[in-house]
Amino acid sequence: MRHGASLLCILLANSVAFADDRQALLATELRSTGWIVFGARADNATWDLFVMRPDGSDKRNITNTAEFEEAAPRLSPGGNRLLYRRLAKGTKIDHDKWGFQGEPVVAMPDGSNPESLAAPGGYPWASWSPDGKAIICLTPKAIQIIDIASKQTIREMPRKGIYQQLFWSPDGKWLTGTGNHQGESWTVVRMNSESGDVNPVHIFQSCTPDWFPDSQRILYSSRPKGQKAKDGYGWTQLWSANGDGSDSKLVFGEDGFHIYGGALSPDARYVLFTKCPVDGGGSESAGAPICVMRLADAPIIQGESMDLRAVHPITNDGPVLELSAGWEPCWTLNNLDGKKS
Amino acid sequence: MKAASLMLALAFLCGACGQSNTGGADAKVTTLGRIEVTAKLLDAGGEFPPNDLYDYAHIMKYEVLTTHRGMLDGKTIYVGHYNPLKPRASAADERSGEVGGNVTRFIAGDVHRMALVSPIDEHFMGAQVNKLPESEKGAIYWALWTNRAS
Repeated sequence: MRHGASLLCILLANSVAFADDRQALLATELRSTGWIVFGARADNATWDLFVMRPDGSDKRNITNTAEFEEAAPRLSPGGNRLLYRRLAKGTKIDHDKWGFQGEPVVAMPDGSNPESLAAPGGYPWASWSPDGKAIICLTPKAIQIIDIASKQTIREMPRKGIYQQLFWSPDGKWLTGTGNHQGESWTVVRMNSESGDVNPVHIFQSCTPDWFPDSQRILYSSRPKGQKAKDGYGWTQLWSANGDGSDSKLVFGEDGFHIYGGALSPDARYVLFTKCPVDGGGSESAGAPICVMRLADAPIIQGESMDLRAVHPITNDGPVLELSAGWEPCWTLNNLDGKKS
Repeated sequence: MKAASLMLALAFLCGACGQSNTGGADAKVTTLGRIEVTAKLLDAGGEFPPNDLYDYAHIMKYEVLTTHRGMLDGKTIYVGHYNPLKPRASAADERSGEVGGNVTRFIAGDVHRMALVSPIDEHFMGAQVNKLPESEKGAIYWALWTNRAS
């Protein structure tokens, strides 16, 4: 008890308080594990990019641009560059269309030296290549790989029904995205980056996939069939599965909330997500609390969640930290100058 | 004076029945895309999903009555319409690119004049709701412009 109280005092000194001892221990564990970068509503009333320590401390606005809306930051695989979208002031960030909105921008991880890569609407759904030298994007006719330095298209390949949230695996062998597949929309799929062959990872109301660092498993959001809540609409949960769709497992769920923005720490020990009572993650308003948990504690179900617990009777009871409100967080173990800590 | 009144009455009648005098032709439908047809909507493909959070293309079945431009696979075609809960005039957004027309609702039996391209996957990048599995046998068209033809 005394140990927990001491931890609480330390954390309070860093402007973050957690009432539960296990939360305090997790926060201590997280304190020096790099930085989380995310978009959030700023004091200037627009969306800016922020950083904070993974325990929620040391939060600061790294863009602070009242003349733009900025969202959806993604750190390069090496952690030394940031890719995000910059929208005209007053543009509502659409959780379903943000990859078409605004211009793609690269910057240093601390937000400095922003450089626009294209005009508004350019390079839809742009994300990083494994070496950080190129971006991949989705156009109706093809997936395009663009060299950042020259802006030349290095390669094109059929997109095979993928329509948003396209991400390249760290080992370069696979792509994952959300698409139409075998007559079903909102299917998380995996594509072989050489052959273009596609397999479903999860069929039915699934999206926002992200790679595990080992390039073998995929983290994604899923709103399973057969839920009773909201006249059968149900709640969105965070899941993971192997790239071939096997061994799918619940990571986190809570009835009453939609779980999106799933992302792993670079060492795959922790999971980030957002928890929003409104479907879509809250990008149209002020986001939702960013949460962090240990992957080893999965599956976690929070709250009463009687319906979800009936489907998943065996769960863990690990701590979950609720941090600042935001949208689409990502994690780096590097310092904010891009250098290894 | 009588002739003028008659002309005015005729003009009013033509105006009241929309574009029936042109069969739905206008500057957009006659120029956009590579295919232009007048076709009867046979099956709207089931209930349209809500569009408050997500927008879809919905696949519908048509019988082609007249081909004005381009080549078609047959008399029965399958056409994807973006966000069909919205009138065509206000359906376009960042994702759809240029879509439009004067159709306000999709009702089986209605006749539409449409500017089309094919296949849908080369022109539209978004979720497709397709409750017509027989459509998978051939190309699905993407509706750029959809006017009432009757």
